[in-house]
Order: sequence, then structure tokens, then C-alpha cells
Amino acid sequence: MTSWIAIAPVLVAIVTGTVALLVRNWPRLQRAIAVSGTVVYAAVVGYLSWRVVFAADAGGILYQLGGLEAPFGIVLVADELSAFMLAITAIVAVYAVVFSVQFIDEQNQRVYYYPLFQFLLLGATGATLTGDLFNLFVWFEVMLMASYVFVAFYGNAQHTAAAVRYVVLNIVGSALMLLGIGGLYATTGTLNMADMAVQLSAPGAVTEPVVGLSALVFVTFSLKAGLAPFQFWVPSAYRAAPLPIVAVFAGATKKVGIYAIIRLYFTVFGDADVSATVPAVAGDTALAFLAPALLLMGLASILVGGFGAVSRDSLEELLAYSSIGQIGFIAVAVGIAAATTAGELRHLGIFAALIFALHHAVSKGLLFLSTGVIQDIAGTTKLSELGGLGDRSPVFASVFLVGGLSLVGIPPLAGFFGKLFVFDAATRQFAAATGDTTATAAAVLTLGVLFLGAVLTILYATRAWIETFWGSQSEAIRAGVVHDGQIAVLATLALVVLAIGVGFEPVYQFADAASDAALDTDGYIEIVGLGGETG
Amino acid sequence: MTLAVAATVGALFALGTFLLLRDDLVKVVWGLAIISQAANVYLIGMGGIVEGTSETVPVLATHHAPFPETVDPVVQALVLTAIVISFGMTAFALTLSYRAYQENESINVTEWKQ
Repeated sequence: MTSWIAIAPVLVAIVTGTVALLVRNWPRLQRAIAVSGTVVYAAVVGYLSWRVVFAADAGGILYQLGGLEAPFGIVLVADELSAFMLAITAIVAVYAVVFSVQFIDEQNQRVYYYPLFQFLLLGATGATLTGDLFNLFVWFEVMLMASYVFVAFYGNAQHTAAAVRYVVLNIVGSALMLLGIGGLYATTGTLNMADMAVQLSAPGAVTEPVVGLSALVFVTFSLKAGLAPFQFWVPSAYRAAPLPIVAVFAGATKKVGIYAIIRLYFTVFGDADVSATVPAVAGDTALAFLAPALLLMGLASILVGGFGAVSRDSLEELLAYSSIGQIGFIAVAVGIAAATTAGELRHLGIFAALIFALHHAVSKGLLFLSTGVIQDIAGTTKLSELGGLGDRSPVFASVFLVGGLSLVGIPPLAGFFGKLFVFDAATRQFAAATGDTTATAAAVLTLGVLFLGAVLTILYATRAWIETFWGSQSEAIRAGVVHDGQIAVLATLALVVLAIGVGFEPVYQFADAASDAALDTDGYIEIVGLGGETG
Repeated sequence: MTLAVAATVGALFALGTFLLLRDDLVKVVWGLAIISQAANVYLIGMGGIVEGTSETVPVLATHHAPFPETVDPVVQALVLTAIVISFGMTAFALTLSYRAYQENESINVTEWKQ
């Protein structure tokens, strides 16, 4: 099915961004346009999701840029997986922009804040929708360019230093991605992802180079996702960027890295027979080579993030490290899916990763925005200078509590289902490994680290809660002004976190369809219109 | 020709990596620019440099052989895009370097306190 609706989110973001740029001399108008543009974006994503997943004639939607057919033209593909990621992005974006209006001071809002916000959104949207590998690179650059400026946004010593490191790292990452893409083009003779899947599974195709080349692309994706050992840019960048943007970084742009891994490895390389001789790794698909690397990186992220978060002394850094750990949970779920050959467990792994990604986006978004509120009240986020905020604003305390409990995984909040399915996948992996010593050891290690990660989460969430809200009121808290408007916005987000947990049925259906789509290579090829030609 | 391209890519990456590891921020930005260009030259090499035929280049049908060796037009388009992006990135990195130099009072990244 070809329809313009697949490109609509991209158009909304680009038009809003450009118009916001044109009206920069009228701050109020600019603000109104930015907020309403983001709401329209969310509405369009909602409609797209309905058309793709829930409607009677639901199915993936294709848009051919310039009317050129794949594999020659660039296509945008909105399938269930893309729609799910877009839905996550849309929720976070709406809250971030509404919160920005109240949080970012007037002077700073005038420094291209809203146009950049829209371009960040544009990059994330394009990367999720594109069906062309080089086009994915371009969307990544669009997203990165906006994020560079946001990291350097406040422009002081700390921010510029963080931005320099972030920029250097990501430009090197982009060069690596180009190497991978160039190599894949030379190997398969195409850049279209669906066509690539067709070429790789064609009889007699040369596939050995794919193992190494996809590793180069994988490095770039995990750099974007902030997986250990590529996590070191995360804390300083998160500390430097404005807090509503950090919510978008943690909620949306990091997830684009995870999305790209799932899309490329499961949808495109999934079925292809790729064999190469790599020491210590046996396997004949790209996924078999991905699995050990991704599992180890995920487990390392959980440990680095968990221990890092426990030992930080400011709320922002604590949450930044927590983000690294939580991305680790997602990566482990994807890794489990890659390691197994059983269809059911693979489906469960992807499903768990998607549910966890949604939970992390809303819960962590809520916590980062709450940190913004605390920053506004106390002028600092240092835990030692906070305390007694529960007395000042009980409503805000309960909002923060919802975010914290969701992070820990208390039912019926969103985080409960995230953790549940990740642990479910890990225990099933353990159950499936009976008789195989290496596999059992790996499964036990995975379960052990997941458990440790969950304990560490409880530890740092409790610490953040106690030091900020309990005890006697600190100097900074007593003198501060509580902004009711900001808290009202966050209260609705807390309700969203609750609603995802309570009304889980449609979310389940959506994520289930998305994981089906992630694993259905033939379906993806079908949508792009290449089915039955060579495959 | 392939050998020349491969040697160039290798030399550019070596130089770029060397510069990237300097203390001086300006040299680091040079390193980034060179690595980006190395990736572009690599893309050219990946497209293959072969003698054009009327199969791949339709306009050659009306011309006479011998044809010169040409680069795959798809990678030319890719490189063109990548050049524009890396140009923008380099400009931004230089601007950011200047501001970082002003704020941190040193162009030597190891002397930064942050």
C-alpha cells in the first residue's frame, strides 16, 4: 500500500521547524507554533499507528520519494515496528516541548531552541521511517547536528567541553558507519534495505564480508544508544544539555540506535545465510555473530550504569548513569532474541525490548523533567543540597514517586511489564539451554546480572527519593519557588505511566505486531514492493 | 587504480587517526576532516573503478571506444552528500572549538578542568 501518510510525520516536523525559524522575532508566535506543531506531529503519528496496526485493513505503508520505485528510489516504510518507535518519540516530544515553554528561560528560548527541537525530532523520525541504508545515515546526521547544538546550548566551559567530546566521538562514528554502508553496497550492489535482504538470501550470493561490515555499522548504532563500552559520552552530554532535551535524548534518540540494530539485523540480515570464520563464535547468520557482542555489551552497560548511578552525587548524573543501565536491559533482551534460533523466544526477546523501551522513554522522561522542576525550585540538583521537598509539594512528590517506582518495576506501572518480559525472556533462555553447559552458564550469568541490575535500580531510585523528598528542608528547597504549571504537566505524564500499566492490552497488541514486523523479512520486502522478483 | 585508491585511503586514515589523538583541539578537528575525507575516498573505491560500457552508462552508446575508467554514479551521489555533511560538521566543529577555547581558556584539551 502506497500512501502519503508514511511521510506525513517527517513533513510535519520539517514544516514546523522551518516556520519556527521564520517567526523567530515573534517569540510568542514561535512558541505557539512549536507546541501546536508537536501536537499535530503526535496526532499524525497516532493516525499512522492506527492505519498500520489497529485499522481493519491494517498493514505496512510505503511512500516512494519522487515516485521512484525501490530499489532505485528512496522509500519510506511505515510498518508496525516504525510506528511503535514513532509513538514513543511522539509521547516524549509532546511533553518535552510543553515543559520547555515553562522551563527554558525567555532569552534561551529565542536562541533557535524550537527550530532545533523540531530538527532533532525530524532526524529521529526520518531514521525510523527510512527504507534506505544511506538515507538512514543522512537522518542520523540530521539528528546529531541538532543534538550537538543542544549539548553546547548553554555555552559555558562545561557545556562546550562536553560538546567537543560528543562531536568528535560522533563524527568518528559517522565515518565508521559510512565505511560499513560503502562495504555493504559493494557486497550486495544495493542500498535499499529490503533489496539488500533479497540479494543476501539469493542463491550464490557472496555474504562473508557482511559479518565485518555490519559490525562497523553496529558500533555506530551502539554509540548512539550509549551501550558500554561506548557509554562515556552519556553523563557529560546529559549534564550539559537542557533537561527537556535530555528527556528526548534518553527517550527517543537513544532508542533510534536500538531500532536501527533491530531493523538491520533482524529484518534485513535475519534470514540470510552468512558464514565466516571468527574465533570463538560459531554461526551461520549475522545474528549469531551479533548475539554474544550485544549480550556482553548489554550486561556491561547494566553494571556500569547501575554502579555509576549508585555513586553519583547529583540527580542529573544519577539519572544519566541509570539511562546507561536501562539501555543495557533493552540490549540484553535483543541479545537473547539474537542468540536463539527458536522463533517464539526470538519474538519474546524483541517484544520485551520494545516494551522496555516504551517504559524507559516515559518513566525516564518523567524523571528527567522532574529533575528540571527540582532545578527550578532549588537552583541545583546536587543530592547533598536537596531534602524535604515532600513537605513543600506533596503532589510533585507523588509524581516523582510514580517515575521512581516505575523505574524499579512496581506493578501496575509501565516499568513492571518492561522488567517482567525481560526477565521472562532470560528465564526462558535458561530453560531452553538444558544440557548445554556453555549456554547454561551464559544464561545464568545473564540472569545474575539482570537481577543485580534490578537491585541496583531499587538502590539508586530509593536514594534519589529519600535524599530529595525526605528529611528536613534544605536551605535551597526552603527558599525556592514551586511552579505549579510544570508540576501539572508532569502529573499528566505520571498518569500516562500509570495508564500504560493499567490499560496494557492495546500496548501489548501494538508491541506484539511490532515484533512480528521486526522478524518478518518477507513481509518487509512485500511492503517495499520487491516481493516475488528475485526472492 | 584500485591499489592507488586503497593506498590513499590507508594513508588518509593513518594521518587522520594521528591528528585525532593530539592534545591540540585544532589538530583534532583537522583529524576529523581528514577521516571524513578518507571515508569518502573509500566509498569511491567501494563503487569500483571500471571502464564504462553502454550497459552501465547509456550515453556511451553513441560514442566510440575506448572509454576511460569511471566511478559508479551511485557512490558519486553518496560522496557528494557525505562531502556536504562533513563540510557542515567541520564548520560547526571549528566554531565550537573557538567557543570551547574561549570558555576553557586553553586549546589543549588535556588542560581542561571540565
